[in-house]
Amino acid sequence: MNPPAPSAASPALLESLVERIDVGVFAVDRDATIALWNRFMAVHSGKSSAEVLGQNLFAVFPELPRPWLQKKLESVFVLGNSAFTLWELRPYLFRFPHTRPITGGLDLMRQNVTFLPLRVSGGSVSLVCGTVFDYTDTAMAHARLQDAIAALSKEKDAQRELIGKLEAAQNQLLQSEKMASIGQLAAGVAHEINNPVGFVNSNLQSLKRYCEQMLSLIAAYQSAEAQISDAALLSTITALKQALDIEFLQEDLPALIKESEDGLVRIKKIVEDLKDFSHVDESDWQHADLNAGLDSTLNVVWNEVKYKARVEKNYGTLPAVACLAAQLNQVFMNLIINAAQSLDQAQGMGTITLSTGHQDDWVWVEVQDTGRGMSEDVKRRIFEPFFTTKPVGQGTGLGMSVSYNIVQKHHGRIELDSAPGQGTRFRVWVPVRQTGEAAP
Amino acid sequence: MSIDFISDEQREALQEVANIGMGQAGASIAQVLGEFVELSIPQIRAVAAAEIPAALAALAGDGVASAVRQAFIGELRGEAIVIFSEHSAHDLAELLCYGDALDTPASRELLLDIGNVLVGACLGGIAGLLQTEIGFSAPSLLADQVATRQLIQAETIAARCALLVEVRFGLEKRAFRCHLVMLMPDDAVAALQRALDRFIEEL
Amino acid sequence: MSVSVLVVDDSAMARKMLIRALPADWDISITQASNGVEALSRYRQGGVDVIFLDLTMPEMDGYQVLEALRREDLNCLVIVVSADIQEAAQARVRAMGAIAFIKKPVDPVRIQAVLKEYGLLL
Repeated sequence: MNPPAPSAASPALLESLVERIDVGVFAVDRDATIALWNRFMAVHSGKSSAEVLGQNLFAVFPELPRPWLQKKLESVFVLGNSAFTLWELRPYLFRFPHTRPITGGLDLMRQNVTFLPLRVSGGSVSLVCGTVFDYTDTAMAHARLQDAIAALSKEKDAQRELIGKLEAAQNQLLQSEKMASIGQLAAGVAHEINNPVGFVNSNLQSLKRYCEQMLSLIAAYQSAEAQISDAALLSTITALKQALDIEFLQEDLPALIKESEDGLVRIKKIVEDLKDFSHVDESDWQHADLNAGLDSTLNVVWNEVKYKARVEKNYGTLPAVACLAAQLNQVFMNLIINAAQSLDQAQGMGTITLSTGHQDDWVWVEVQDTGRGMSEDVKRRIFEPFFTTKPVGQGTGLGMSVSYNIVQKHHGRIELDSAPGQGTRFRVWVPVRQTGEAAP
Repeated sequence: MSIDFISDEQREALQEVANIGMGQAGASIAQVLGEFVELSIPQIRAVAAAEIPAALAALAGDGVASAVRQAFIGELRGEAIVIFSEHSAHDLAELLCYGDALDTPASRELLLDIGNVLVGACLGGIAGLLQTEIGFSAPSLLADQVATRQLIQAETIAARCALLVEVRFGLEKRAFRCHLVMLMPDDAVAALQRALDRFIEEL
Repeated sequence: MSVSVLVVDDSAMARKMLIRALPADWDISITQASNGVEALSRYRQGGVDVIFLDLTMPEMDGYQVLEALRREDLNCLVIVVSADIQEAAQARVRAMGAIAFIKKPVDPVRIQAVLKEYGLLL
């Protein structure tokens, strides 16, 4: 490619073009003495070409980054190739006021500057020409675009969070519906068991009375045995007594009845606990004794616990707490079951400690185990819906997220203290009164 | 891969031209930076578009790298890519008179500056020997601290294949190392061949 | 009697470029070598008056050739012809016994001046 032939256009025309073009054009020699300064440069710097021609660039503009710019100019002189500055990385070279004093915008003109080598008499580079392009409007548009992108991505994050919350709420709803129907089922079963247990109990009381009466009659007969002179009759009686082992029978009968009575008491207790736990008739806020709730919950899940752990209780005196008792019981149940499942059976019986306490307007219920404990990662994710450390099919991954939401609903909080190998301690804090409720 | 789109004689001429061009560039850069420059013998080969990312990764080695690209325009047309491994470019901040605190924009500007100096000097030298005018776009950042395989995405490459001329640059007394890769699309190679033939004829 | 010249460069193109740049009226016989090992074996056969030596070559580079020639009591004139034209490289080869350093691409005027300086050309 050949350089264009020297233009026939008059030097005056070219000079006027350089002077009037809407781009900053200046040139410096190897000593940074200004050799060219067009109108754009004069207008924006406030320094006319008459003022600056022949002056040192750095003396006229002491705010320029001198060592860096000198090196840049030097590289153009030595290498004979262009160099550049871009507004995105270096917002401006010259401190020119921006071009929007009325409509506002950026403080200073944003600039792209190109440094071109000029070989005036052929051969080596004798001047470096700088062209200064005003990028202020581009920079402003860019900033607006960046703001819009940031706003959009913020909105997107908020939406994502909202979707997460919706999912969690839906899961909780499903879970509480499931729990409610289990509760209804349990209450129905309890009710159905209550009737037969009632008449079995009443019959057993009669049976017990009749047995006592029969035994006292037999005792009377036994004391009269000496009076029997008929040897044949006596031998029949003696043989019968031996065959029946009458002495054992007289001893065992009251014991059997006593055991059956105890069994019935336990059945009645379990039925009551089931009713307590499900609170089917009380879905509204109520004032409940959390110690009692904890006990009835423990009874319901006793089967899960009894072969794995000793349970130690360390209850404080608690005021009645405004709560959805059935839901809080669900929380306690989840905590106790998790505690039992965290115990490593290879290590023998573990210990689950249930503690409660009262501090100012708050009560707390604590479930502590001597189990495996949790890693930081598990601790971070423990309240996430569908997060589970149990094998597939054993946990829904909903227990803890549901618990978390129930406690939130009570305006309470759950504290977690756990480390691998150190066991786990959950402490549920709930306020004694809910907001808007008057102190008693 | 063999170089199928230039003849052996052209290849040899290009090798010598690149060699001399790099030598001149090295001397100029040494003058600008004030340090002895180490240059490798240029390697020339043709690569298919899909292989360009892997070829660049192979040059840069494992780990993280940054890259600056710059177009060259004229009878010779293509793009030059300068690959800097890790933070090795920071080593040059002082030589180019950057301040001590190198924030993100400044460290990017430094990469662009070094890239511009290397590309301008090397390609300018080659163009001068081939007696053809060459112009350059402003440099831009292609990749900033990415895995070397991600320096360039194969799907963004428009050319079918490219002639790759690679030179390694280093400074004797410093950790700084970089690779300069000159990529010319297949359809621009004809112009290069003409220029090389002219060069050979004039011998 | 003609001067015996050995041109050493790994690039045939570069050798060709150099030979074309030598003065047309210089009475010489030319031999070529494409690396340092070949160059030394040719030199040891005797009769070489002037060597034009490239620096970057495979097998044995120009610096190693200079080193070997010095050990063997260099009795010919070595002119280094190199693309690496940094000041430091020029100083290095002069210290190793080269009489001159010629930049690539070679300039016939510069070659003529060097040859005249050492009385190789009238």
